[in-house]
Formats: sequence, structure tokens, C-alpha cells
Amino acid sequence: MKRWLLFGAILLLSYTFFQSKNLLLIAAGVAIFLFGMKNLEEGFRFFIGGMLDRFLKKMSDTLYKNILFGTIITTLMQSSGLVAVIAISFISAGLIGLAQGIGIILGANIGTTTGIWLIAGLGLKINIATYALPMLVFGMLFIFQESKRLKGIGYALAGLGFSFLGIAYMKDGFDAFKETIDLTQYAADGYTGIVLFALIGAGMTVVMQSSHASLVLILTALSASQITYENAVALTIGANIGTTVTAVLGALGAGDDGKKLATAHFLINTLTGLLLVGFVPQSIRLIDLSAPLFGISTYDETLKLALYHTYFNFTCVLLFAPLVQGLVRLLDHFFKQKATDENARDDVLFINDVALDFPDTAYETLFKETKHLYNNVCDIIAQGISVTKEDISSGMAIDDILTHRKDPLYVNMDAYYERRIKEIYGKIITFAIMAQGKFSDISERQFIPIKNATIGMVEAFKASKHMQKNMLRYLESDNEYIQSEYNHIRKNLIKYLRTLQMIFNTAEDDVIVLLLSKLKLDAQNYDIAANKSLDNLIRTNKITYTMATSLMNDTNYAYTVASELFKVAHALFVHANTESSESKEALILNENEVNDLTHASSQRSSS
Amino acid sequence: MNGFKLIQTIKELFGFIPQNAESTQKKSIKELLRKLKFRRILLKQELKNETDLLKRESIRDSIKILKKQIKKGKDLVDD
Repeated sequence: MKRWLLFGAILLLSYTFFQSKNLLLIAAGVAIFLFGMKNLEEGFRFFIGGMLDRFLKKMSDTLYKNILFGTIITTLMQSSGLVAVIAISFISAGLIGLAQGIGIILGANIGTTTGIWLIAGLGLKINIATYALPMLVFGMLFIFQESKRLKGIGYALAGLGFSFLGIAYMKDGFDAFKETIDLTQYAADGYTGIVLFALIGAGMTVVMQSSHASLVLILTALSASQITYENAVALTIGANIGTTVTAVLGALGAGDDGKKLATAHFLINTLTGLLLVGFVPQSIRLIDLSAPLFGISTYDETLKLALYHTYFNFTCVLLFAPLVQGLVRLLDHFFKQKATDENARDDVLFINDVALDFPDTAYETLFKETKHLYNNVCDIIAQGISVTKEDISSGMAIDDILTHRKDPLYVNMDAYYERRIKEIYGKIITFAIMAQGKFSDISERQFIPIKNATIGMVEAFKASKHMQKNMLRYLESDNEYIQSEYNHIRKNLIKYLRTLQMIFNTAEDDVIVLLLSKLKLDAQNYDIAANKSLDNLIRTNKITYTMATSLMNDTNYAYTVASELFKVAHALFVHANTESSESKEALILNENEVNDLTHASSQRSSS
Repeated sequence: MNGFKLIQTIKELFGFIPQNAESTQKKSIKELLRKLKFRRILLKQELKNETDLLKRESIRDSIKILKKQIKKGKDLVDD
């Protein structure tokens, strides 16, 4: 269907271009303008990594600041669509909440007016193509540089250059057009005309995926007197509604929160549009009255249209800013979260296509999903040693837990893996590989450690699965010695999992550094060569040789669980955290230092 | 942004000022060292009030580790 539509569009456009050279000029202008906008977006994407995240953190506490943030970045990027996509991406990664996202969208509506003022005030009054050409030359010069920032500046400059060139082409096209045909003869009056042109405005914005492109087209057509002022106002309303489709399309691959934000954007602009469609004649009178206050001539229809566009967007903000919390509650009601069953098949919670848009969101998403996977892995490792995840997180003394859980817990670990690990593991690895490819410059520092951490989790799971068979058997054994040895393994692992839990729950660097060193110290409990109790048990025939080999193997498996989980925590909280990874790495005790500590304590205890 | 800062930013952007990685790392270690020292003080106070033998043992282990880490950090910063 899509292919037929494309084919039809190509045929129709080719026929039209063959019939009218002026239409070709206008269409080429739109295409060059859109290409410029894409370049401008691309340029800002080079800057976004890290910078936007930090900026967002400073601007996230109040609605007023969120609106300001949206206004500033839209003014800089000149694309409300891109800002909406950024907000959806940040919401999906959990960096901001829905209310903040709505604030940013409201700000983006204000920010988008700045570009229209520039085009109406300067773009159509001066020979804009004169500025486009040097911008293109300098832009290309920067694009060829190695530095990402300079490349970004290059793309942004080239983008502006192409946009200016596009406007110039559209202007030339419409100027030449009016000599041959007068489009105003197709103008429609009254409310029918307003609704019809609003629909046309929305339709063309949906097709071009850029309200800027639509508004430039409307402004150039208006400046060439090819459309009436009233119809231009209706087209502007339509363009403001049509622009929300960019965010709706962007949210298709996003999680529930992303969809909620796109719906909010759609509701805000559409409801304001529907309201203002009913008041077009009154709005025109208001513009006529207020334009002289801003120094705009009564006859300057392009600037008056820019003023109308500003009024429209400020109306959006004034109407919906006080209703943000209500809107959040309404959207939460419509997008209810599905209740999760512990035994149900588990799937990813955070990973979605939108999160791959920016390095910050990709990293944050991956990190959160890995924590989600760890939660499941910790759950099954705990069950593998016949305790529960709740026992681990409880403050109960470990000896009490063992007394309480003296009976073996039969759990099918393979089935658990299929149900709650495999799918998430696969999706994390795929997402990490995609992110590595897309953001190759930061992948080594951030994505690779997270990928390694997930691999480590699965290795830990495998080792605990190998250990489970004998664990179940010997926990029920009549031989109290072997039972006690297996309880010793359980005790060490519970302690280990508890420390890990603390690392996963803290945000303090010093606690992470301390606990990781402590894990290294605790890992020495699995040193089979130093385990004198095992030697004694064998020597005194208190356990059989079969029991002894099982115990030795399972102590090794327990060691594998511990060391793999150590690597997981190390990769996630030291390597993947680039801000302070080097200092943390430097202060975590190495093997020799841990050995020194152990020897010092054993010497003290023996003397 | 004042004029000096603007020039510095532009210089950095065009790669005229390479960032001093060593001094940044030392600064970061110093900051972490300060937190570790504070954590040791907190744990020492906790040890005084703790009566449970196992928990006391665990806190003692932590203090020992912290002592070693603080020494290590000091050596790194002094280098």
C-alpha cells in the first residue's frame, strides 16, 4: 500500500512539474528547506550527548523551569518535533516524569514561534539566499573536521544554509506563480473555508513532518498574495495540530510514558486548535488591534500571521499549564499499568526503540534494564540455595534464615530461566550492540561494561544451577556434617547477595568502593585449598568421598557465582559510571591488599 | 558567560586546550577520599553503639578496609 502511494505521489508530482516550472521551484524549495531542517537536527544531535542531560537536571524541579527549558532548546534547535522526540526519549528512560515532559512540550510550543518571527521578519524581507551560500561553504568545511563538536556546528550551519536556500526558492516560486495564476480565486470564506484550510494545514504538516516547513510555505504564499489572510490563519491552526503527529509517530516504539506524552501533545494542540477555529474572525480583529502595539503595520500580513502563531501557542500554554497535574492523572487513568504476576513470563521494562535516539537515554535505559535483570537473577540464585529474595533483603540474621529455611526449596531453574531471564537477556544484548554501533565513541566506556555485566549475570545463574542438585540432596541428608558444609555455602552466598543488594541500592560512591572491596574479602571464604574443615572431614571419614567431591565442586560453583556477581557490580558501578570510574577503580583494594588484610586478621586471632 | 570564559570555551571546542587528565583524576580521588574518611568516622560511632557480635565483626571489617583504602588514596594523591 505504502509503495503504491509513493509511486502515485511520484507520478503526480512528475506530471505537475512537467506542467508548471513554478510548482517545481516551490516543491524544490520545500525539499531543500526540509533537508536543511534535518541537517540542523543532525547538528544538534552531536551536541546533545551529556550536555542536555546536565541541563535538564538543573531545569527539572518546577513547571516554570520545564517550560523555559522547552522554549530554549526549541529556539536553539528550531524543531518542536525533535524536542518532543527528546522529551519522549527522556521520559522512556525515566530521566524525567510525565509532568516535566508536558512542561517541556508547552515550552516547545513557545520556542517554535521564534523561528516564524525570524522568517516573517527577515526571511521574506531580505534576500536570504545571499546568507545561505557562505553558510553552506563554512558548514561543509566544518563537517569534514574530525571533532564531533565541529562536525555538529558544520551540520547546523549547513542546515541553516539549506533552510534559507529553501525559503528563497519557495519565495521565487510563488513570486513567479502570481504572474501566471491567482490562487486566491480558490479561497473559501466563512467557517467552511476555515475548517477546510485548517484540515489542509494539518494534512500538509503531517506529510512534511515539519510545522516550520508548513508555516514557511504559508508565509511565502501569503507574502506573494496567493492565499487570503483568513485562510492563512486557518492553515496555521492546522499546522499546529499536524505537528503533533511527529511526536505520535516518535512514541509508537516508546513505552507507556512516551505514549502518554505524545497523547498529551496531541490533546494540547488539538483542543486549542478546535477552540480557536471557532474564533477566527475574533482572533483576526484582536491581531488587527494589537499589531500596532508591537510596531507591526496593519498591512504587513506576514508579521501579523507570526503574531497570530504566537498568540495560538501562548493560548496553549495559558490553557494547559494550570492543568498539567490533571492531565497527568487523566493519562494515567487511560494508560493503566498491567499488574505483573511473579510466575508470569517477564519481559523488558525499559528498553524500547525511542531510547536509542540519544546516548544518555540509551545508557540510562540499558542500566535500568540490567538492574531489572539482576533482580530476577538474584531471585533465582536465592531460590537455588533454598532461600527467597525477600530473605536476602530482610534484616533477619543469616543463622535465623537458615533455621527458618532448613527444608530444600524445589524450583525448576531451567523453566525460570526461560520465563524470566532469557528474553530480557537477549533484548539487553541486542540493545547494547545497537547502541555500541550508533554511539561508537562512548560505547567502550559505557555500553560494553553493561553488556559484560549481563553476561556475568547469566554465568552466575548457570553456576548456581549446577550447584542446586547437590544442594537439594544434601540439605535433606542424614549426614549432619555434609549438611552443615552446604549450609556454610548458603550462609556465605546470602551474605554476598546482601552486600550486592546494598551496592545496587546505594548512590554513594564511597559505599560502592567500600562494599566492592568487602566482596573481594568475602570471596576468600570460597578458597577450597584453605578450607581446613573439609580436610578434617575427609581425614576423619565423616563424609564419603562422593560427598567430598560434590562439596569441592559446589564450593567452586559458589565461588563462580560470587566472582561473576562481583564482576557484574564492578562493571555496572565502576566501569559503566564514567564520571568517577577511575578514582573508584584506584581505591578498590586489589588481591594483594585483600590478602594483607586477611593475614593481618588471622595473625591477630592466632596470637 | 564573560569574555574570558567564552574564549576558553571556544579554545576547548577547537581543541587548543587539552584537558589535564592527571589533575582531574587526583581531584576526583581527593573527593572520594574525603567521603571515605567521613564514612570511617560514621562506622566508628556505629561500632560504639552496636551490641550484636556479628554486626560488630562486620563493622570492624569495614573499618579495616576503609583504613587501607584511605592509606592507598593518600599515597596516590601524594605521588
